[in-house]
Amino acid sequence: MSDHTPAEILGSHPFTADLSDEDRAQLAKLARLGVYDPDDYLLREGQPATAFYLIVEGLVSIELFIPGHGPRPLQTVEGGSAVGWSWMLAPSRWEFDARALERTTALILDGERLRDLFVEDCCLGLRIAHRLLFVVAERLKAARLQLLDLYGPPREL
Amino acid sequence: MREPSSAPPPGANPYIPVPFRVSGRRRETADTVTLRLRSPTGDSLPFKPGQFMMLYVFGVGEVPISVSGRPRRADILEHTVRAVGPVTRRLAALRRGDWVGVRGPFGQGWPLALAEGFDVLLVAGGLGLAPLRSALLQILAQRDRYRRVTVLYGARSPADLLYRLDLTRWQQRPDLELRVTVDRADERWRGQIGVVPALIAQVERQFEPTRTVALVCGPEVMMRFTVRELQKRGVPDDLIYLSLERNMKCALGLCGHCQFGPAFICKDGPVMPFSRLAPFSEIREL
Repeated sequence: MSDHTPAEILGSHPFTADLSDEDRAQLAKLARLGVYDPDDYLLREGQPATAFYLIVEGLVSIELFIPGHGPRPLQTVEGGSAVGWSWMLAPSRWEFDARALERTTALILDGERLRDLFVEDCCLGLRIAHRLLFVVAERLKAARLQLLDLYGPPREL
Repeated sequence: MREPSSAPPPGANPYIPVPFRVSGRRRETADTVTLRLRSPTGDSLPFKPGQFMMLYVFGVGEVPISVSGRPRRADILEHTVRAVGPVTRRLAALRRGDWVGVRGPFGQGWPLALAEGFDVLLVAGGLGLAPLRSALLQILAQRDRYRRVTVLYGARSPADLLYRLDLTRWQQRPDLELRVTVDRADERWRGQIGVVPALIAQVERQFEPTRTVALVCGPEVMMRFTVRELQKRGVPDDLIYLSLERNMKCALGLCGHCQFGPAFICKDGPVMPFSRLAPFSEIREL
Protein backbone atom coordinates (compact mmCIF):
# COMPACT_ATOMS: atom_id res chain seq x y z
CA MET A 1 0.00 0.00 0.00
CA SER A 2 2.91 2.38 0.67
CA ASP A 3 3.52 2.67 -3.09
CA HIS A 4 0.02 4.00 -3.72
CA THR A 5 -0.71 7.69 -4.04
CA PRO A 6 -2.88 9.46 -1.44
CA ALA A 7 -5.62 9.81 -4.07
CA GLU A 8 -5.60 6.07 -4.73
CA ILE A 9 -5.71 5.29 -1.04
CA LEU A 10 -8.59 7.70 -0.48
CA GLY A 11 -10.42 5.92 -3.28
CA SER A 12 -10.27 2.58 -1.53
CA HIS A 13 -10.30 3.50 2.16
CA PRO A 14 -13.71 2.81 3.78
CA PHE A 15 -13.77 6.27 5.35
CA THR A 16 -13.54 8.12 2.04
CA ALA A 17 -14.28 5.59 -0.71
CA ASP A 18 -17.85 6.79 -1.27
CA LEU A 19 -16.97 10.51 -1.44
CA SER A 20 -17.03 12.14 -4.87
CA ASP A 21 -13.88 12.29 -6.97
CA GLU A 22 -13.87 16.04 -6.40
CA ASP A 23 -14.03 15.70 -2.61
CA ARG A 24 -11.26 13.12 -2.60
CA ALA A 25 -9.10 15.28 -4.85
CA GLN A 26 -9.40 18.11 -2.32
CA LEU A 27 -8.44 15.82 0.54
CA ALA A 28 -5.55 14.30 -1.39
CA LYS A 29 -3.90 17.72 -1.53
CA LEU A 30 -3.66 17.71 2.27
CA ALA A 31 -2.48 14.14 2.65
CA ARG A 32 0.80 12.36 2.93
CA LEU A 33 1.70 8.77 3.69
CA GLY A 34 3.26 7.68 6.97
CA VAL A 35 4.79 4.28 7.76
CA TYR A 36 5.32 3.22 11.38
CA ASP A 37 7.31 0.34 12.78
CA PRO A 38 6.03 -1.61 15.80
CA ASP A 39 6.06 0.58 18.94
CA ASP A 40 6.38 3.82 16.97
CA TYR A 41 3.95 6.46 18.19
CA LEU A 42 1.56 8.06 15.73
CA LEU A 43 0.62 10.67 18.31
CA ARG A 44 1.18 11.37 21.98
CA GLU A 45 -1.01 12.72 24.74
CA GLY A 46 -0.57 16.46 25.35
CA GLN A 47 1.06 17.23 22.02
CA PRO A 48 -0.65 19.50 19.47
CA ALA A 49 -3.26 17.59 17.48
CA THR A 50 -2.26 18.56 13.99
CA ALA A 51 -3.39 15.64 11.87
CA PHE A 52 -6.11 13.17 11.08
CA TYR A 53 -5.01 9.57 10.47
CA LEU A 54 -6.67 7.12 8.14
CA ILE A 55 -5.19 3.74 9.00
CA VAL A 56 -4.47 1.86 5.79
CA GLU A 57 -2.79 -1.28 7.10
CA GLY A 58 -1.61 -2.50 10.46
CA LEU A 59 -2.82 -2.24 14.03
CA VAL A 60 -2.73 0.77 16.35
CA SER A 61 -3.21 0.81 20.10
CA ILE A 62 -5.05 3.75 21.68
CA GLU A 63 -3.61 3.99 25.17
CA LEU A 64 -2.90 6.09 28.20
CA PHE A 65 0.35 6.25 30.11
CA ILE A 66 -0.12 5.63 33.81
CA PRO A 67 2.85 6.74 35.93
CA GLY A 68 4.28 3.81 37.80
CA HIS A 69 2.49 1.32 35.54
CA GLY A 70 3.41 2.27 32.00
CA PRO A 71 1.17 2.35 28.94
CA ARG A 72 -2.36 1.04 29.44
CA PRO A 73 -3.92 -0.03 26.11
CA LEU A 74 -7.63 0.75 25.87
CA GLN A 75 -8.69 -0.15 22.33
CA THR A 76 -7.06 -1.08 19.07
CA VAL A 77 -7.79 0.27 15.62
CA GLU A 78 -7.27 -1.77 12.46
CA GLY A 79 -6.57 -0.86 8.89
CA GLY A 80 -9.69 0.65 7.34
CA SER A 81 -10.54 2.83 10.30
CA ALA A 82 -9.54 6.32 11.47
CA VAL A 83 -7.59 7.68 14.42
CA GLY A 84 -7.80 11.12 16.01
CA TRP A 85 -10.49 13.76 16.16
CA SER A 86 -8.82 16.22 18.55
CA TRP A 87 -7.58 18.29 15.57
CA MET A 88 -11.23 19.34 15.11
CA LEU A 89 -11.75 20.43 18.70
CA ALA A 90 -10.06 23.34 20.48
CA PRO A 91 -7.53 23.43 22.04
CA SER A 92 -6.46 20.70 19.61
CA ARG A 93 -4.22 18.60 21.82
CA TRP A 94 -4.14 14.81 21.84
CA GLU A 95 -5.76 13.26 24.89
CA PHE A 96 -4.40 9.73 24.40
CA ASP A 97 -1.41 8.03 22.85
CA ALA A 98 -1.63 6.03 19.63
CA ARG A 99 1.12 3.43 19.16
CA ALA A 100 1.66 1.03 16.28
CA LEU A 101 1.53 -2.61 17.41
CA GLU A 102 2.66 -3.90 14.06
CA ARG A 103 4.04 -2.26 10.94
CA THR A 104 1.38 0.29 10.11
CA THR A 105 0.67 2.51 7.17
CA ALA A 106 -1.49 5.60 7.60
CA LEU A 107 -2.64 8.42 5.42
CA ILE A 108 -1.98 11.61 7.38
CA LEU A 109 -4.21 14.59 6.63
CA ASP A 110 -3.08 18.02 7.81
CA GLY A 111 -5.56 19.07 10.52
CA GLU A 112 -5.21 22.84 10.18
CA ARG A 113 -5.66 22.78 6.43
CA LEU A 114 -8.60 20.42 6.84
CA ARG A 115 -10.30 22.90 9.17
CA ASP A 116 -9.69 25.70 6.64
CA LEU A 117 -11.06 23.51 3.87
CA PHE A 118 -14.22 22.83 5.86
CA VAL A 119 -14.78 26.58 6.29
CA GLU A 120 -14.44 27.05 2.53
CA ASP A 121 -16.56 24.01 1.68
CA CYS A 122 -19.08 23.46 4.47
CA CYS A 123 -20.79 20.61 2.63
CA LEU A 124 -17.54 18.62 2.49
CA GLY A 125 -16.96 19.50 6.16
CA LEU A 126 -20.38 18.11 7.03
CA ARG A 127 -19.74 14.92 5.09
CA ILE A 128 -16.44 14.35 6.89
CA ALA A 129 -17.94 15.30 10.28
CA HIS A 130 -20.75 12.80 9.72
CA ARG A 131 -18.25 10.02 9.01
CA LEU A 132 -16.18 11.02 11.98
CA LEU A 133 -19.27 10.97 14.19
CA PHE A 134 -19.89 7.41 13.07
CA VAL A 135 -16.34 6.46 14.11
CA VAL A 136 -16.75 8.22 17.46
CA ALA A 137 -20.11 6.50 18.06
CA GLU A 138 -18.69 3.07 17.28
CA ARG A 139 -15.70 3.68 19.54
CA LEU A 140 -17.98 4.92 22.36
CA LYS A 141 -20.30 1.93 21.99
CA ALA A 142 -17.34 -0.43 22.22
CA ALA A 143 -16.01 1.40 25.29
CA ARG A 144 -19.41 1.12 27.01
CA LEU A 145 -19.60 -2.60 26.30
CA GLN A 146 -16.05 -3.05 27.62
CA LEU A 147 -17.12 -1.32 30.83
CA LEU A 148 -19.83 -3.95 31.36
CA ASP A 149 -17.19 -6.66 31.85
CA LEU A 150 -19.49 -9.12 30.11
CA TYR A 151 -17.15 -12.07 30.57
CA GLY A 152 -16.72 -11.53 34.30
CA PRO A 153 -17.92 -14.08 36.85
CA PRO A 154 -21.46 -15.27 35.96
CA ARG A 155 -24.19 -16.37 38.33
CA GLU A 156 -23.42 -19.34 40.56
CA LEU A 157 -24.26 -22.88 39.52
CA MET B 1 -47.88 -61.57 26.40
CA ARG B 2 -44.66 -59.84 25.30
CA GLU B 3 -41.32 -61.00 26.50
CA PRO B 4 -39.82 -58.62 29.04
CA SER B 5 -37.39 -56.40 27.19
CA SER B 6 -33.72 -56.40 27.98
CA ALA B 7 -32.20 -53.49 29.87
CA PRO B 8 -32.53 -50.21 27.95
CA PRO B 9 -29.40 -48.88 26.31
CA PRO B 10 -27.45 -46.24 28.23
CA GLY B 11 -29.03 -42.85 27.91
CA ALA B 12 -32.37 -44.32 26.86
CA ASN B 13 -33.94 -43.28 30.15
CA PRO B 14 -33.29 -39.54 30.25
CA TYR B 15 -33.78 -39.44 34.02
CA ILE B 16 -30.96 -41.85 34.81
CA PRO B 17 -27.36 -40.61 34.67
CA VAL B 18 -24.85 -42.84 32.90
CA PRO B 19 -21.60 -43.18 34.87
CA PHE B 20 -18.56 -41.76 33.08
CA ARG B 21 -15.00 -41.47 34.34
CA VAL B 22 -12.76 -38.47 34.00
CA SER B 23 -10.06 -39.63 31.59
CA GLY B 24 -8.35 -36.29 31.07
CA ARG B 25 -8.31 -32.78 32.42
CA ARG B 26 -6.83 -29.68 30.85
CA ARG B 27 -6.64 -26.35 32.61
CA GLU B 28 -7.78 -23.60 30.26
CA THR B 29 -7.68 -20.54 32.52
CA ALA B 30 -7.50 -19.81 36.25
CA ASP B 31 -11.12 -20.87 36.76
CA THR B 32 -11.89 -23.02 33.74
CA VAL B 33 -10.98 -26.59 32.84
CA THR B 34 -11.84 -28.96 30.02
CA LEU B 35 -12.76 -32.45 31.19
CA ARG B 36 -12.55 -35.49 29.01
CA LEU B 37 -15.06 -38.12 30.10
CA ARG B 38 -15.07 -41.72 29.07
CA SER B 39 -17.45 -44.56 29.70
CA PRO B 40 -15.55 -47.48 31.27
CA THR B 41 -17.97 -49.92 29.68
CA GLY B 42 -17.84 -48.30 26.26
CA ASP B 43 -21.33 -46.84 26.60
CA SER B 44 -21.90 -44.02 24.18
CA LEU B 45 -24.07 -40.93 24.15
CA PRO B 46 -24.10 -39.74 20.51
CA PHE B 47 -24.47 -35.98 20.38
CA LYS B 48 -24.51 -33.10 17.96
CA PRO B 49 -22.45 -29.92 18.36
CA GLY B 50 -24.48 -27.38 20.30
CA GLN B 51 -26.31 -29.93 22.43
CA PHE B 52 -25.70 -30.16 26.17
CA MET B 53 -25.44 -32.81 28.84
CA MET B 54 -26.55 -32.71 32.46
CA LEU B 55 -23.42 -33.47 34.47
CA TYR B 56 -24.03 -34.87 37.91
CA VAL B 57 -21.46 -34.64 40.67
CA PHE B 58 -22.56 -37.38 43.03
CA GLY B 59 -23.90 -35.99 46.28
CA VAL B 60 -23.56 -32.39 45.13
CA GLY B 61 -25.84 -31.65 42.21
CA GLU B 62 -26.37 -31.47 38.50
CA VAL B 63 -25.67 -28.71 35.95
CA PRO B 64 -26.17 -28.30 32.19
CA ILE B 65 -22.87 -28.10 30.30
CA SER B 66 -22.47 -27.89 26.52
CA VAL B 67 -20.34 -30.41 24.71
CA SER B 68 -17.16 -28.77 23.50
CA GLY B 69 -15.53 -31.69 21.69
CA ARG B 70 -16.05 -33.21 18.30
CA PRO B 71 -18.75 -35.86 18.04
CA ARG B 72 -16.38 -38.34 16.46
CA ARG B 73 -16.54 -40.84 19.30
CA ALA B 74 -19.67 -40.80 21.37
CA ASP B 75 -18.05 -42.73 24.23
CA ILE B 76 -15.70 -39.79 24.81
CA LEU B 77 -17.16 -36.48 25.88
CA GLU B 78 -15.42 -33.15 26.31
CA HIS B 79 -16.90 -30.46 28.50
CA THR B 80 -15.41 -27.09 29.38
CA VAL B 81 -16.43 -26.03 32.86
CA ARG B 82 -15.99 -22.69 34.57
CA ALA B 83 -15.92 -22.90 38.38
CA VAL B 84 -18.50 -20.37 39.52
CA GLY B 85 -20.77 -22.20 41.98
CA PRO B 86 -20.91 -25.26 44.23
CA VAL B 87 -21.47 -27.83 41.46
CA THR B 88 -19.18 -26.33 38.83
CA ARG B 89 -16.44 -25.82 41.42
CA ARG B 90 -16.60 -29.53 42.24
CA LEU B 91 -16.72 -30.46 38.56
CA ALA B 92 -13.70 -28.32 37.81
CA ALA B 93 -11.83 -29.95 40.68
CA LEU B 94 -12.41 -33.52 39.45
CA ARG B 95 -9.30 -35.57 38.73
CA ARG B 96 -8.51 -38.38 36.39
CA GLY B 97 -10.41 -41.48 37.48
CA ASP B 98 -13.23 -39.62 39.28
CA TRP B 99 -16.83 -40.47 38.43
CA VAL B 100 -19.45 -38.18 36.87
CA GLY B 101 -23.07 -38.98 36.07
CA VAL B 102 -24.12 -37.92 32.59
CA ARG B 103 -27.64 -37.45 31.25
CA GLY B 104 -28.23 -36.44 27.70
CA PRO B 105 -27.65 -35.27 25.09
CA PHE B 106 -30.40 -32.68 25.22
CA GLY B 107 -31.69 -29.88 23.06
CA GLN B 108 -31.20 -28.69 19.51
CA GLY B 109 -27.66 -28.31 18.16
CA TRP B 110 -26.11 -25.97 15.61
CA PRO B 111 -27.64 -26.17 12.08
CA LEU B 112 -24.52 -27.58 10.43
CA ALA B 113 -26.45 -29.38 7.69
CA LEU B 114 -28.27 -26.17 6.82
CA ALA B 115 -24.94 -24.32 6.69
CA GLU B 116 -23.50 -26.64 4.03
CA GLY B 117 -22.77 -24.61 0.89
CA PHE B 118 -22.93 -21.38 2.88
CA ASP B 119 -20.36 -19.01 4.35
CA VAL B 120 -20.20 -19.74 8.07
CA LEU B 121 -19.53 -17.06 10.64
CA LEU B 122 -18.95 -18.23 14.22
CA VAL B 123 -19.03 -15.47 16.84
CA ALA B 124 -18.04 -16.40 20.38
CA GLY B 125 -17.74 -14.42 23.57
CA GLY B 126 -16.04 -15.82 26.66
CA LEU B 127 -17.10 -19.35 27.52
CA GLY B 128 -19.39 -19.20 24.49
CA LEU B 129 -16.48 -20.58 22.50
CA ALA B 130 -17.06 -24.00 24.13
CA PRO B 131 -20.20 -25.04 22.21
CA LEU B 132 -18.87 -23.33 19.09
CA ARG B 133 -15.62 -25.26 19.30
CA SER B 134 -17.62 -28.45 18.91
CA ALA B 135 -19.27 -27.02 15.78
CA LEU B 136 -15.98 -25.73 14.38
CA LEU B 137 -14.20 -29.06 14.85
CA GLN B 138 -17.01 -30.73 12.96
CA ILE B 139 -16.91 -28.11 10.19
CA LEU B 140 -13.14 -28.43 9.83
CA ALA B 141 -13.44 -32.20 9.64
CA GLN B 142 -15.79 -31.73 6.66
CA ARG B 143 -14.29 -28.48 5.43
CA ASP B 144 -15.20 -28.97 1.76
CA ARG B 145 -18.91 -28.85 2.58
CA TYR B 146 -18.76 -25.19 3.56
CA ARG B 147 -17.75 -21.95 1.84
CA ARG B 148 -15.69 -19.37 3.74
CA VAL B 149 -15.42 -20.01 7.47
CA THR B 150 -14.73 -17.12 9.84
CA VAL B 151 -14.35 -17.27 13.61
CA LEU B 152 -14.59 -14.16 15.79
CA TYR B 153 -13.71 -14.66 19.42
CA GLY B 154 -13.72 -12.19 22.29
CA ALA B 155 -12.44 -12.82 25.80
CA ARG B 156 -12.06 -10.78 28.95
CA SER B 157 -8.24 -10.66 28.81
CA PRO B 158 -5.37 -12.62 27.23
CA ALA B 159 -5.26 -14.81 30.36
CA ASP B 160 -8.90 -15.76 29.78
CA LEU B 161 -8.45 -17.14 26.27
CA LEU B 162 -9.64 -20.74 25.99
CA TYR B 163 -8.18 -23.52 23.82
CA ARG B 164 -4.84 -21.82 23.17
CA LEU B 165 -3.46 -24.76 21.23
CA ASP B 166 -6.55 -24.82 19.03
CA LEU B 167 -6.34 -21.06 18.49
CA THR B 168 -2.75 -21.41 17.31
CA ARG B 169 -3.69 -24.24 14.95
CA TRP B 170 -6.73 -22.41 13.62
CA GLN B 171 -4.68 -19.26 13.07
CA GLN B 172 -2.35 -21.23 10.80
CA ARG B 173 -5.08 -22.72 8.61
CA PRO B 174 -5.40 -21.05 5.22
CA ASP B 175 -9.03 -22.11 4.95
CA LEU B 176 -10.15 -20.39 8.15
CA GLU B 177 -10.18 -16.72 9.14
CA LEU B 178 -9.77 -16.25 12.89
CA ARG B 179 -9.92 -12.91 14.69
CA VAL B 180 -9.38 -12.68 18.42
CA THR B 181 -9.96 -9.68 20.64
CA VAL B 182 -9.91 -9.02 24.37
CA ASP B 183 -11.70 -6.46 26.49
CA ARG B 184 -8.60 -5.49 28.39
CA ALA B 185 -4.88 -6.16 28.28
CA ASP B 186 -1.56 -4.72 29.26
CA GLU B 187 1.11 -3.46 26.91
CA ARG B 188 2.56 -6.95 26.40
CA TRP B 189 -0.49 -8.00 24.38
CA ARG B 190 0.12 -7.45 20.67
CA GLY B 191 -3.35 -8.35 19.48
CA GLN B 192 -6.67 -6.58 19.25
CA ILE B 193 -8.43 -4.88 22.16
CA GLY B 194 -12.13 -4.22 21.80
CA VAL B 195 -15.46 -5.99 21.76
CA VAL B 196 -16.34 -8.91 19.55
CA PRO B 197 -19.33 -7.34 17.72
CA ALA B 198 -16.92 -4.70 16.38
CA LEU B 199 -14.93 -7.44 14.62
CA ILE B 200 -17.80 -8.04 12.21
CA ALA B 201 -16.97 -4.80 10.36
CA GLN B 202 -13.43 -6.08 9.85
CA VAL B 203 -14.54 -9.25 8.08
CA GLU B 204 -17.63 -8.01 6.28
CA ARG B 205 -16.02 -8.64 2.89
CA GLN B 206 -15.45 -12.25 3.84
CA PHE B 207 -19.06 -13.32 3.90
CA GLU B 208 -22.00 -12.89 1.57
CA PRO B 209 -24.81 -11.82 3.91
CA THR B 210 -27.68 -13.71 2.29
CA ARG B 211 -25.55 -16.85 1.95
CA THR B 212 -24.18 -16.83 5.46
CA VAL B 213 -25.16 -18.87 8.48
CA ALA B 214 -24.07 -17.12 11.67
CA LEU B 215 -23.58 -19.15 14.85
CA VAL B 216 -23.39 -16.96 17.93
CA CYS B 217 -22.77 -17.84 21.56
CA GLY B 218 -21.83 -15.66 24.51
CA PRO B 219 -23.37 -13.35 27.08
CA GLU B 220 -26.79 -12.11 25.95
CA VAL B 221 -25.72 -8.47 25.64
CA MET B 222 -22.85 -9.51 23.39
CA MET B 223 -25.23 -11.60 21.28
CA ARG B 224 -27.73 -8.71 21.05
CA PHE B 225 -25.08 -6.35 19.68
CA THR B 226 -23.73 -9.05 17.40
CA VAL B 227 -27.19 -9.65 15.92
CA ARG B 228 -27.52 -5.92 15.20
CA GLU B 229 -24.20 -5.87 13.36
CA LEU B 230 -25.24 -8.90 11.32
CA GLN B 231 -28.65 -7.41 10.54
CA LYS B 232 -27.03 -4.12 9.42
CA ARG B 233 -25.11 -6.10 6.84
CA GLY B 234 -28.15 -8.00 5.65
CA VAL B 235 -27.79 -11.42 7.25
CA PRO B 236 -31.40 -12.70 7.50
CA ASP B 237 -32.80 -13.40 10.97
CA ASP B 238 -33.51 -17.01 10.08
CA LEU B 239 -29.81 -17.59 9.31
CA ILE B 240 -28.61 -16.16 12.62
CA TYR B 241 -28.51 -18.86 15.29
CA LEU B 242 -27.96 -18.12 18.96
CA SER B 243 -27.26 -20.50 21.81
CA LEU B 244 -29.20 -19.37 24.85
CA GLU B 245 -28.43 -20.06 28.45
CA ARG B 246 -31.23 -20.46 30.96
CA ASN B 247 -31.74 -22.15 34.28
CA MET B 248 -32.14 -25.70 33.02
CA LYS B 249 -33.13 -28.36 35.55
CA CYS B 250 -34.99 -31.33 34.10
CA ALA B 251 -33.62 -30.81 30.57
CA LEU B 252 -36.77 -32.43 29.23
CA GLY B 253 -39.13 -29.50 28.84
CA LEU B 254 -41.19 -30.51 31.87
CA CYS B 255 -40.20 -28.38 34.82
CA GLY B 256 -40.45 -24.98 33.13
CA HIS B 257 -37.35 -23.48 34.72
CA CYS B 258 -35.90 -22.55 31.34
CA GLN B 259 -39.06 -21.24 29.71
CA PHE B 260 -38.51 -18.40 27.22
CA GLY B 261 -41.82 -17.20 25.84
CA PRO B 262 -43.53 -20.27 24.41
CA ALA B 263 -40.27 -22.23 24.19
CA PHE B 264 -38.31 -24.35 26.61
CA ILE B 265 -34.64 -23.65 26.08
CA CYS B 266 -33.65 -27.16 27.16
CA LYS B 267 -35.84 -28.83 24.56
CA ASP B 268 -36.46 -26.24 21.80
CA GLY B 269 -33.00 -24.71 22.25
CA PRO B 270 -30.40 -24.02 23.40
CA VAL B 271 -29.66 -23.23 19.75
CA MET B 272 -32.45 -21.29 18.08
CA PRO B 273 -32.74 -19.02 15.03
CA PHE B 274 -33.10 -15.34 15.85
CA SER B 275 -36.25 -15.23 13.71
CA ARG B 276 -37.87 -17.34 16.39
CA LEU B 277 -36.45 -15.34 19.28
CA ALA B 278 -37.04 -11.87 17.83
CA PRO B 279 -40.68 -11.48 18.96
CA PHE B 280 -39.56 -12.01 22.56
CA SER B 281 -36.16 -10.38 22.49
CA GLU B 282 -37.52 -6.96 23.48
CA ILE B 283 -39.34 -8.32 26.54
CA ARG B 284 -36.86 -7.49 29.27
CA GLU B 285 -38.26 -9.84 31.91
CA LEU B 286 -37.82 -12.98 29.80
